[in-house]
Amino acid sequence: MKNFSRFTLLSLLFLYLFFGNCIVGNFSSVYAQDDWKQEYSSVCAKTQNAMILTPEELKSYIDRCDKLLALINELEGEQAATEKKVYTKRVKMCRELYQFALEYKEHK
Amino acid sequence: MKKAIFTTALLFAIIGIAFAQTGVKKRRPLPFEFGRVVINNYSEASHIAPVVFDHWLHRAKFTCRLCHVDIGFGMKAGATDIKARDNINGYYCGTCHNGTRVFGDTSVFSSCKEGSGKMNATCNRCHSLGKNVTRKYDFREFVKGWPRERLGNGVDWEKAEDRELIIPYDYIEGVSIKREKLIVQQDFKIAPKVEGMPDIIFSHDKHTFWNGCELCHPEIFTGIKKGLTKYSMVDLYEGKYCGVCHINVAFPLLDCQRCHTEKVQ
Repeated sequence: MKNFSRFTLLSLLFLYLFFGNCIVGNFSSVYAQDDWKQEYSSVCAKTQNAMILTPEELKSYIDRCDKLLALINELEGEQAATEKKVYTKRVKMCRELYQFALEYKEHK
Repeated sequence: MKKAIFTTALLFAIIGIAFAQTGVKKRRPLPFEFGRVVINNYSEASHIAPVVFDHWLHRAKFTCRLCHVDIGFGMKAGATDIKARDNINGYYCGTCHNGTRVFGDTSVFSSCKEGSGKMNATCNRCHSLGKNVTRKYDFREFVKGWPRERLGNGVDWEKAEDRELIIPYDYIEGVSIKREKLIVQQDFKIAPKVEGMPDIIFSHDKHTFWNGCELCHPEIFTGIKKGLTKYSMVDLYEGKYCGVCHINVAFPLLDCQRCHTEKVQ
């Protein structure tokens, strides 16, 4: 009986370490892949207030958009073709609005 | 004999010129057809009926910004290059039409499904050009009792929104970005070129409610200074500037007094 309990405990520990690690590993890799989406949510969140941002802030957002576009262009995987198409357009819209607001402020 | 040939030739020439000048008059769409878009990038090539998209139903439930900015639909039919795979991946139509998305008490039916192969009744709800498909929503029933308008859909969407007959969604969880409240730019006046024509009062407030900022700037209105971009009614009728929306979806350009609102002195 004692041996059976030990065996069960050891089996459970083995299962936890093996599968648990796989699950955590998978989550972290998916999470890492989606870092660019968080950057997208952050960089395009200010479009409503583009006209009250300072030229320095606008330049910083434009720069972040350019870096994000380069990241999106390098996406790989099953959904890459769709994601590239959708997010390139979305980020370009943000970037162009920030550029528009910057030019407006510089010509004012 | 020569006289007869000459007369016949002259007659043909006159008829030819008359027809050439008349051309073919374009039929004005019926209220339920106004804003209809046919999407046929790949459908017919795949032996499937093209998609018929009705703007009236979607604009009653969602802002233009939500679909054309957050979801990423282009402003011209066919410009988005939508593939079934995109919908299956949960983008474009598949953003909402995924069988799980719920708005109010309505569960949205699923669009293209993986491996379905054959066309079924659900496919026909969108891929319906040339088919006799009964729609879930009947236009006349849907807009019954709403404020009327002479042209377009025959609905005054602006009044419908003011009276809260429609409360369009502007945010979809997992798709839209949480943004701060929009700081609305001031309304301004545009002087028309034709003398005696009332000035246009452009309302940023009304437009930003539906469109946000990036739908119009800078793609449609590139000018950074008021009055810098010169455009005429001809440009608008060619689908540029205001004409991007105010030909096919928003109230049409024929409704002059909707824009030319300032009293003539």
